[in-house]
Amino acid sequence: MSVERHDIHAEDPAPYVLGALTESEVRRFESHVAACAVCRDEVERLRPTADALPRSVEPVSPPASLKQALMAVVEDDVRTRDGASETVAAKRPGALARMRKRLSGGGRPALAWASACCALFVGVLAGGYAATQLPAAEERGGRTVAAKIDEARLPSGSGSLVVPASMRDGGVLRVHGLPALDSDSVYQVWVRRGGEMISQSLFSVGQNGEGAAAVTDDLEDADAVLITREDIGGAKAPSENPVLTVPL
Amino acid sequence: MHLVQEGDPRAFELLYDRHGGASFALAYRMVGDRVTAEDISQEAFLSIWRSRTRYQAERGSVRTWVLGIVHHRAIDALRRNLVHERRRSSAEGIEERHEAPERERTDVEAGRREDARHVRSALGELPEAQSRVIELAYFGGFSHSQIADMLEMPIGTVKGRMRLGLEKLRQGLAEKIA
Repeated sequence: MSVERHDIHAEDPAPYVLGALTESEVRRFESHVAACAVCRDEVERLRPTADALPRSVEPVSPPASLKQALMAVVEDDVRTRDGASETVAAKRPGALARMRKRLSGGGRPALAWASACCALFVGVLAGGYAATQLPAAEERGGRTVAAKIDEARLPSGSGSLVVPASMRDGGVLRVHGLPALDSDSVYQVWVRRGGEMISQSLFSVGQNGEGAAAVTDDLEDADAVLITREDIGGAKAPSENPVLTVPL
Repeated sequence: MHLVQEGDPRAFELLYDRHGGASFALAYRMVGDRVTAEDISQEAFLSIWRSRTRYQAERGSVRTWVLGIVHHRAIDALRRNLVHERRRSSAEGIEERHEAPERERTDVEAGRREDARHVRSALGELPEAQSRVIELAYFGGFSHSQIADMLEMPIGTVKGRMRLGLEKLRQGLAEKIA
């Protein structure tokens, strides 16, 4: 590859160390820097100053749930270090953190039933096990609502929403027979309320097509819980008609 | 760090304890939203855990390495999710994100606060035109061309102000630390 002239990149070291070049510009500049001692020296000279900028930020205490969720994934990594498949938790750490926080009662009154099954539920997410060990909602005053599947798109799928006695505390959506999506896609859970779609969580299914996801919103005045397939990271609004609907 | 590189989860936990607060603060300062900052911090630390063998002590401190990864993650999130529409690194927004931490003060923390004061002071001494492009780039996650559009000035001017600002900041930090 030919090296671009220095004068093309002479003003790039500063935006480079500040992270203000686009990805393609970074590639071009780094290719140039590899052969340009002037730019390389300038980058090395300016980098410590850019590195000092985050030191100007006042510390903000992160939530304790962040460390808990992070360490759970790390411990899971350690356990499966020698060959187990990548976990859902690893793919969706942020979503998992929020599910854990919500399910363990952060930000709202703790759910007795959810607390009881939280460990199992997180185990489902983190380990890809079948979500069949949750205590029956009926035993705890709640109920289980069967989902309607779009059979044309998910011919083998099924699902149900487990809600506690108080629908204000959300619920847990369990699915079976859903196809595993490619690495660029994810299932996204929504609550529909008065025509508004509110994102809840993202999840993947294991090889056996089973999975579970947290529904964290108040369901008392919700119309339905739905699932769509979205690009990884999730969408701000559904990009397709739901593949699964739980009418409420 | 040696134990972290060997895959010791307890050592990694200690690393998080030491740098998690600064990482979360940086992410929060950049995206202005606690939930997104939480996601960024967690993704960054998982990345650190999984790429722990890539850390090279001769290239800088662990803290610099960690914060660099958080910074890149936050920029990715900002550019991917177009969070820029709802925030423009206004002075008000920046102040809102400076929350007082509720932690026990230690000598290390006191030292870091003093260091933070030096850096903020040096930043404050820059000409406004230079500090603005630096803040928009580093903390706002904007590219030089976005900043040029935003401030209605040529890209070359933006890059030049970044260079002059960093140069002056470098000198300012050297004087304050000396």
